[in-house]
Amino acid sequence: MESFELTVNGCVERVQAPTQWTLLQLLRDGLGLLGTKEGCGEGSCGACTVLVDGRLTRSCLSLALRAAGRSVLTVEGLGANGRRDPIQEAFVRHGAIQCGFCTPGMVIATRALLGVNPTPEDHEIREFLSGNFCRCGGYTQIVNAVRELAGRRPTAVNRGENA
Amino acid sequence: MILRPFKYVECGSVDEATTTLKQYGDGARIIAGGTALVPMMKHRLLRPEVLVSVIQVPGLGDIAAGPDGGLRLGALATHWEISRSPLVKRESPLLAYACGRVASPTVRSMATLGGNLCYGESASDPSPALLALRARVRVVGSGGERTLPLTEFFTGFYETGLAEDEVLTAVEVPPLAPGARWRYLKWVPRAQEDKALVGLAAVLVLDGRHCRMARLGLGGVAASPVVLRRTEQSLEGRELDERTSAEAGEVAAAEVEPMEDLQGSADYRRDMLRVWVRRVVADLATGGGER
Repeated sequence: MESFELTVNGCVERVQAPTQWTLLQLLRDGLGLLGTKEGCGEGSCGACTVLVDGRLTRSCLSLALRAAGRSVLTVEGLGANGRRDPIQEAFVRHGAIQCGFCTPGMVIATRALLGVNPTPEDHEIREFLSGNFCRCGGYTQIVNAVRELAGRRPTAVNRGENA
Repeated sequence: MILRPFKYVECGSVDEATTTLKQYGDGARIIAGGTALVPMMKHRLLRPEVLVSVIQVPGLGDIAAGPDGGLRLGALATHWEISRSPLVKRESPLLAYACGRVASPTVRSMATLGGNLCYGESASDPSPALLALRARVRVVGSGGERTLPLTEFFTGFYETGLAEDEVLTAVEVPPLAPGARWRYLKWVPRAQEDKALVGLAAVLVLDGRHCRMARLGLGGVAASPVVLRRTEQSLEGRELDERTSAEAGEVAAAEVEPMEDLQGSADYRRDMLRVWVRRVVADLATGGGER
């Protein structure tokens, strides 16, 4: 068992966690933050993506104890004063959400992308989000949402074109 | 998926890590970024008693110029950092490119170069690049430090020449030969973030069409990352054209013993290797330039 402090979405948390817990387990089972999802559990799908000290992290592959003293951002930490973050607004506006399971990871990865590159081209958006799977296949809408955040117009319809 | 219990030791120095490794022997595993080890543990392929963490060892992730040109990369440098480092892009653009082809941005930002090499996986992206660049690795154990060529580091299927108490601390990359052209071509059958079925790294030095030097590293095909020595020799001293490129493809296809798994059969790997070598050589010979 490990005892340590970390900051989650701006709040300092004092936690106790088994040594073998992943950061994902700490967030979901320890802190009740259920926004971050477990998809594959082996680092492929991106549903568990969070930021740790601003760095993109697969929380299913990170040991919880390694977050000691660090600052974690999950989807619950986005937005302020009861309002959604602009990334979330753009996802809603473009219907970039179907079942919603990949959305927290997509939104967090988008945040990281816009942090390193505020005006990504389409291929850069696709490349950056390549580690986040949308099993519904709604990639066109997701790219459209990010494109709007990058200050460019979304493509018109786009049926059947997903390359 | 959950992890079984283990003991965790956070080391403040390489010496502490080697001492801890020696103390626990076979039951200990080093953990750096964890992107390879944690899934292996989740799938119960490994069950270490003790994880020996080196992630906080100061300076072990430094990216610096080498003493005689080239680069010295600390084992903890992540693929993300290497792929975006202006120094690496300038001194070793092949390596920067190959590191940028590893998995996805999130995995790249966690996974370390040292961890990638010590995992010993054939389908590694940096490994063929570093083999083509004839990199060396620095290794520290309880008996002291040694440097060995990467060609001697990979010893078999997920096997390396590291002794039980040894830690890979740095990768030394010699400077790229002046005027060298390079390419890393990665064949993935399904999606961008997949592992390479064939990952071919090439560095060629040409006088017009005359090949003065050829260096070829290969991942994903044989049981471990390998150098295509006979293919290199078949190219050096020759005029490169469509015929010699095709011949090099044949030499390469005969040179390796391909693996077989769910991603592809041995024959498929051999066929793709033949095509890849022909394309890369022809492409670099007809200008191609970089990448």
